[in-house]
Amino acid sequence: MDKTRKISRFLDPELLASLSNLEIKARTVVEGMIEGQHKSPFKGFNVEFSEYRQYVPGDPLKDIDWKVYGRTDKFYIKEHEQETNLSGYMILDTSGSMSYKGSGSLSKLDYASTLAASLSYLMLRQQDSVGLLTFADGISKIIRPRTGIAHLKTICNELDNIKATEKTNIGESLDIVGQTMKKRGIFVMFSDLMDDAEVIINKLRQLKSRRHEIVLYHILDSDEIRFPFDEMTIFKDLEDKSEITTDAFSLRNEYLTRIRQMINTFRSALRKSGIDYLLANTSMPLEANIRSFFTRRQAILER
Amino acid sequence: MNFASPWFLLGLLGIAIPIWLHLFFQKTPVMKDFPSLRLIMKSVEYLSHQRKIRNLILMALRIALIFLAVMALARPFIGQSAGAGVSSSAPTAFVILLDNSMSMGSTYQGVSVFNTARARALDILDQMNPSDKATIGLINEPGGLVFPQLTWDKEALRQSINNAKLTAAGTDIASAILPALELLVPLTGYKRTIYVVTDMTESAWKPFVEKYDLERIDKGIDLVMVPVGGTAPENMAITNLETDASVVMLGRKVPLKLTIANYTNKKQIAKVSISINGERRIGTDIEVEAGSEKISVLDCSFSKTGMNHLEASIQGDALPLDDTRHLAIRVFEPCKVLLIKPDNVNNTENNDDIFIKFALNPLNKSKENIFVVESRLTSEITNVEPSNYSAVILLNQRHIPEVFIKKLSEYVLAGGNLVTFLGDRVEPDWYNKYLSDNLGGGYLLPARIFKRVGNSVSKAVGYQLTDIDLGHPAFSIFGKDGNGDPSRAKIYEFFQVRPNPTAMMLCRMSHGLPGIIEEKRGRGRSLLVTFTPDNRWSDWPIKPTWLPFLHQSLIAMVTANDLTINGARPGMIISATLNATADNKVTLKRPDGSIENVDGLTLTKGILHFTTKNTNMPGYYELAVGNKLVSAFAINPPAEESRLTRINLRKIPRFIPLEQEVGKGKSVKEKVTILRDGYDMSGIAIWLLLLLALIEGFFANKPIDERVKNPI
Repeated sequence: MDKTRKISRFLDPELLASLSNLEIKARTVVEGMIEGQHKSPFKGFNVEFSEYRQYVPGDPLKDIDWKVYGRTDKFYIKEHEQETNLSGYMILDTSGSMSYKGSGSLSKLDYASTLAASLSYLMLRQQDSVGLLTFADGISKIIRPRTGIAHLKTICNELDNIKATEKTNIGESLDIVGQTMKKRGIFVMFSDLMDDAEVIINKLRQLKSRRHEIVLYHILDSDEIRFPFDEMTIFKDLEDKSEITTDAFSLRNEYLTRIRQMINTFRSALRKSGIDYLLANTSMPLEANIRSFFTRRQAILER
Repeated sequence: MNFASPWFLLGLLGIAIPIWLHLFFQKTPVMKDFPSLRLIMKSVEYLSHQRKIRNLILMALRIALIFLAVMALARPFIGQSAGAGVSSSAPTAFVILLDNSMSMGSTYQGVSVFNTARARALDILDQMNPSDKATIGLINEPGGLVFPQLTWDKEALRQSINNAKLTAAGTDIASAILPALELLVPLTGYKRTIYVVTDMTESAWKPFVEKYDLERIDKGIDLVMVPVGGTAPENMAITNLETDASVVMLGRKVPLKLTIANYTNKKQIAKVSISINGERRIGTDIEVEAGSEKISVLDCSFSKTGMNHLEASIQGDALPLDDTRHLAIRVFEPCKVLLIKPDNVNNTENNDDIFIKFALNPLNKSKENIFVVESRLTSEITNVEPSNYSAVILLNQRHIPEVFIKKLSEYVLAGGNLVTFLGDRVEPDWYNKYLSDNLGGGYLLPARIFKRVGNSVSKAVGYQLTDIDLGHPAFSIFGKDGNGDPSRAKIYEFFQVRPNPTAMMLCRMSHGLPGIIEEKRGRGRSLLVTFTPDNRWSDWPIKPTWLPFLHQSLIAMVTANDLTINGARPGMIISATLNATADNKVTLKRPDGSIENVDGLTLTKGILHFTTKNTNMPGYYELAVGNKLVSAFAINPPAEESRLTRINLRKIPRFIPLEQEVGKGKSVKEKVTILRDGYDMSGIAIWLLLLLALIEGFFANKPIDERVKNPI
């Protein structure tokens, strides 16, 4: 229990925010997880136990399972299945709305970047190839998928240099992603989805129809989810700089209704299409989000 | 609306407080960056409409709260009608019009309707405040105000109501309402009301409503109807008693027309009793269908000459005043007529009077005849006294003695009747000089005479009578079909005459010249016929219309001075002329036996002009000069008053009903107070205030949107 609490402390966003280097952040997150669990939940990513079969002459003796022999007096060979490499694409929304930093210590973009880096690190450790694609009003940067842990540095350098300023055009960006990334792989998208929901859902469905596996992290700040404002407020849009003056207190219920409707809309529509939807609250520890991803990934590999 | 405490209305300024709060207590907004306004925009759009409505409702509720609080303190009175636009503290000027016409004499549920009306009037008067002023009016015929001006003397008003008497008169609503309006219209600083306490008989109200546009009455004056009585009681009445006989002769049967009305819902038998001078003569039963009138003809005869009192009555019912009816009838002895015919020439008997004698009294019997004719030659008349005759007829005279002319002139002025027939003996110059121009005592003829027209020998041209005045009693009989046509007679010769300015032309010749002229002289009359009364100048004397003309002319002249008053109603002014001097004592005996000395008579040319308006009492009135009964007349209640059907109140515009049902609802006193001051609304205002305060509290604390119970 103490160790778990320690890990959680490591993965706490406030602590991560104090680390300036994203690679270090990623490593901290992942190593913390592994160290804390001793036995990686992702063990056997490459070499997976498949089945037992009876020993036949010619089989290597090292594959004989002596424990079974001790119980049964029979020679059984323990067979393993070799896993192929997986191409992963970290697709990061860098629009202005992602720069929002509420009462927490990380902005939505920082949180998404850390999450992307962490996942990249884990995938690279397991011999998967990982690429990076950032977008806002269009595609900003593409790093092709590569294997090897050294590639993490490239990805983290790019993530460190991202600045959120532009407006969002998720639909058009996903069009380009579909045209660019033709090799089948797993797309991990980080976005606050502040665009037309119907367009986003349609584009993701199109992407899915090209046999890509898609995991969507819906990055929302705690302020967006709980709307803790209660006074007359001039709200200023981070993307188009428009303003609106309203009584936040009286608006709260209606806003919460709409955000819940929005989340439910995405969740139900995407799940129907076989797209994994994960709501990522920036005030929550990263561990849960990473664990969710790998649970999904395992399910994907078993299909 | 009026206010008991109007100074509290200043509190209405407090309405500005919620408005000020609404406008100036808005929070100063803080700036806040937000990822995307997409959802906020949608939420704001959704809520802004609701919020706007809620804010307006809250503001309205708060304004209403302050308004009601102010109203509760200011004590508004609504519902009052009197004095719209006048301060609530203004005094009241009002008129109580009490219907005391005959129909009010009925009973309803055993109680006199008139007594009920007086009680209602007293109830209204009780609500009079010291600063109010009022007057009392009576609705009858003619109605009017008891006090011509409004007065503060409540006790005097009370006395006038207590002293008001039921009359047998009709209902002249306008005669009371119009002077009441004249009094109230200028008093714009007062609450003004006219209360009409009446039984609302349709026969009285319907003509009033049709004649006057009540909507034009000053809207600041309230017209309040206080109905008394209830459903119309069953009533029977004698609505008419008359005789068609132009003259009633002693001992001769006279047909009496008696009209009995049955205003009940079933057939009734009227037990009719007719008495003459207090002596019962006829008793009979007459059956009358429901809701109808029946005219019965009963024969009766009179045994006394002069004025007779005829009284018809039926059994009593709910309205006793219309169960008896009176008639004054003068009974004549046969009228003596003096015919003055020209002297005989060469001892040949003069037959100028033959047609007249034959027409008036063929056998010259005095008994049962209207006329008794006495013929005298011109030479025989010097000592004859004309006043012994009802009429004198001059037939084709050349000259008559001046002594007789003087007698004749005095006779006519005193009420005698002169008929002059012209003929071949007439000398126009002498006639004009002695009978027309002699102002000293002559001036007997109604026209000056000129020349003869036509030729009775050749009879070449036969003139006809035209422009016959069928309204004159002499010719009125020919106005009915089947009674003949005088214009069929031919006049071959006649005198051209020029009528006096005050003469009446009874007919003309067919080419326009006057034919028969009549003029009133003093109390008498003079009739001039421009042709002969025989068949020399005309064939009229042998026509069937000659006899009725002669009869009617003389009867009309003989009875002209009678006080013939038909249809006289209570309250009517009765006028008459009497042969008397200023020294004569004139008295009027009223139906109740009381004798009134009539003063202030005006004397003109030896004739007293008598006028009285003390005719409120129905019955038989006798007029005497000295101790001699000279005339009489009857006063009867108006027939329409017997119909007690009530008019629907909705058919009377502008009138506000103020009814009181025994043992139910508010009393007349309470209703008068409400009408004048209105309902006190402060209690309702307080309850509304509490209710609105609850609603405001609920609204103010209710979130606009409660859809999210469990946020994410």
